[in-house]
Amino acid sequence: MTTPDTQAATPVVEMRGITITFPGVKALDGVDLRLFPGEVHSLMGENGAGKSTLIKALTGVYQIDGGTMTVDGVEHRFSGPDEAQNAGISTVYQEVNLCANLSVAENVMLGHEPRTGPFISWRKMRRQAAENLARLHVDIDPASRLSAHSIAVQQLCAIARATVRDAKVLILDEPTSSLQKAEVDELFQVIRELRDAGVAILFVSHFLDQVYEISDRLTILRNGRLVGEHLAAELPRRDLIGLMIGREGAALDAIERGAQQAFAGEREGVTPTIEAVGLGRHGRIEPFDLAVQPGEIVGLAGLLGSGRTEAVRLLCGADRPEEGTLRLGGEDIRISDPLVGLRNGIAFSSEDRKREGIIGDLTVRENIALAVQTVRGVWRPVPRKELDELVDRYITALDIRPANPNQLVKNLSGGNQQKVLLARWLATAPKLLILDEPTRGIDIGAKTDIQKLVAELAADGMSVVFISSEFEEVLRVSHRIDVLRDRRIVESLTNGPDVDQDTILEAIATKEVA
Amino acid sequence: MTTTVQSQAPTPAPVRSRLSGLRRYLSPEYLPIAGTILTLILMLVIGEVRYGGERGFVSPKLFSNLLQDNAYLLVLAVGMTFVIITGGIDLSVGAVVALVGLVIATLLPMGVPLPLVLIIGVLIGTTFGFLIGVLVEYFDIQPFIASLAAMFLARGLCNVVSVQSLAIKDEGFGALAGWSLKFGEGRDIWKINLSMIIAVLVLIVAYVILHHTRFGRTVYGVGVGDGGNAVQLMGLKAGRTRLWVYVISGTCAGVAGILFAFYTKSGFNLTGIGMELDAIAAVVIGGTLLAGGGGFVLGTGVGVLVYGLIQVLIAREGLDSWWTKVFIGVVLLVFVVLQRAIAVRRRS
Repeated sequence: MTTPDTQAATPVVEMRGITITFPGVKALDGVDLRLFPGEVHSLMGENGAGKSTLIKALTGVYQIDGGTMTVDGVEHRFSGPDEAQNAGISTVYQEVNLCANLSVAENVMLGHEPRTGPFISWRKMRRQAAENLARLHVDIDPASRLSAHSIAVQQLCAIARATVRDAKVLILDEPTSSLQKAEVDELFQVIRELRDAGVAILFVSHFLDQVYEISDRLTILRNGRLVGEHLAAELPRRDLIGLMIGREGAALDAIERGAQQAFAGEREGVTPTIEAVGLGRHGRIEPFDLAVQPGEIVGLAGLLGSGRTEAVRLLCGADRPEEGTLRLGGEDIRISDPLVGLRNGIAFSSEDRKREGIIGDLTVRENIALAVQTVRGVWRPVPRKELDELVDRYITALDIRPANPNQLVKNLSGGNQQKVLLARWLATAPKLLILDEPTRGIDIGAKTDIQKLVAELAADGMSVVFISSEFEEVLRVSHRIDVLRDRRIVESLTNGPDVDQDTILEAIATKEVA
Repeated sequence: MTTTVQSQAPTPAPVRSRLSGLRRYLSPEYLPIAGTILTLILMLVIGEVRYGGERGFVSPKLFSNLLQDNAYLLVLAVGMTFVIITGGIDLSVGAVVALVGLVIATLLPMGVPLPLVLIIGVLIGTTFGFLIGVLVEYFDIQPFIASLAAMFLARGLCNVVSVQSLAIKDEGFGALAGWSLKFGEGRDIWKINLSMIIAVLVLIVAYVILHHTRFGRTVYGVGVGDGGNAVQLMGLKAGRTRLWVYVISGTCAGVAGILFAFYTKSGFNLTGIGMELDAIAAVVIGGTLLAGGGGFVLGTGVGVLVYGLIQVLIAREGLDSWWTKVFIGVVLLVFVVLQRAIAVRRRS
């Protein structure tokens, strides 16, 4: 391990007072960042804190409006990614930003490909690409198309590309989000090798475990401002989270206790808000029973593809059940499509926020109004005054930032987009709220907000079905947990002090399928 | 940094995914071009069976005639291939061909030297291409609209130059157009003329540029469908590339205008109406994806041959020439559906 010694080493990159303004928003406000050679530096912050913006300033994608940036003691102002690359700054972006229609070799080498005169030396290029990939322990045919490989391999190609040049600085923006555990280990080994070779590495990840595993130094941002720079070894995890979200970590615990107290077990004789009996659809989900009482939060836990989404799609009318019955407030009902569901007080917020949720080119107001307007029908527009009241109420209640109803939703951070979605469904005053992965890919602050909100809604009598891949979250929020495996509900657990992640895992692993 | 680190104790199992040499050529990207070649062979076989007789249908003469009649189309289609690979379109080329022909027919009788006239002809095309490129790249106007505007402009200028057909009687020009190398004897005589040489040269140069230069590969990268974002982040010049493909297409249209003037020895303001669509058809039949990002310029060459062969077969069959359009429509439809099917399969 290299010991980060601020006094002795000189930073290879020094950014001071970086300010970037977008129309109407100050995305970065006087942020400093120092990167030392032979050190892994993690950039921490919630979604929308300005991490991506800072990276894009460093890599020349965005032009800075204020502040200075020196690389190796020379002041730079990059006007494009190629200039940053020439200065020795290589980047692997969050989503694989390569050309899937080109070969692996081209994706790794293009821009610094070996040439004779103006012509590409294909053989040499393939060999060099293979060598670079071999350093990452990747052995694939450099002449094959990039699209023929898995996302993880594509990600490794992107890293191979970034390390082709003897980069002084390597930026990895969420490089692990699409990787399996073993692949992450591999990547970390590569990062350590590069670090030991004297490369300064800037690492961004939402996974705190990974951050602590790999980092020497942390810089924390919040709302476009610098919160502080710390050595990883000297900053306990709890304090880090506190710095990131700007409040005490105790808030997390409060929800947990609140949720479990609010709903004291099953109440006899209460008519469930919704009750599914033997509901099923061939090839999607085996027949299942599910009842949610007023004020109850039922968590669905299970691995990806275990049938969680398929089950709730039958409840809300997104898919039609082929067998079984659905009872709403004790009466049989057929929900043929989501609109019928909505009119009967069932709101479904899907897991794919970008494609099945928000409409990026509409404003916050329009996105919130969508469901209410749909329920009312085309011929009865919601009066503007009523709408504004509604929108203002939810923006305040859910703390949507920026609190501007005219902002286009695509310009909001993931967490705030999710809040807008929640507002949309809450505006219809549903009896049953189905949330499919409402906290996926959003930062810890927004996550806490949403969990807290769900608990409050239930306390007010709303029934909630809550789906999450994170068992910890399901445990924290739910009163009852239905565990799914292989498209069946295999276990129904009443949440309590004796139920923990191991209980769920055990249910998934061992429960016999009837 | 080039040494492989070996000292690390637990070397993870290498990520493997290899395709054998042959399998690589069976991947979906080669399917459209395979379809094109198959179509060409099928048509040649049909021609041989129906009109072969004792002299044979498939002969050097057939290909000589095909190239001679379609040299201008080949040059247009080659330029169009660049544009379509980036996901764009250039509708102006037909009108540019007409304009170039008219300008040649006007300038030559005025005593302007022939080489200068030819250079001017090419530069007219280059200018229109540059104009479209600037509109597309810097004013963010859709290629369809930008090139449509350029098309109207060029067609309008044609009428300014002349509303009548102008014959080109210049001797030097006639000599260039008439020059050819002759092979064979008697009825089997076939020739190579200047237009054919130029067209094939353009094709070869385009192939080298597209497949063996950074610019060429960037053209493919721009067509990947993310607005050149990935290419930009890779540090390549996405914007400049998008501008250049229109300049190339325009320049090709200028050259094609000269070749078409060689072919007809005249300039006329109604020439080349719909010619841009013929070029696009040839490109698509040649296996280039209309959505951008994939294709082969050599396929475009085959596409032009298929196009020409349809005309020949229709003529031999004694059908009216408009049947050509019907068959080209059918072939085009089949190829577009094929592309779609491949795209859908790849996504699932």
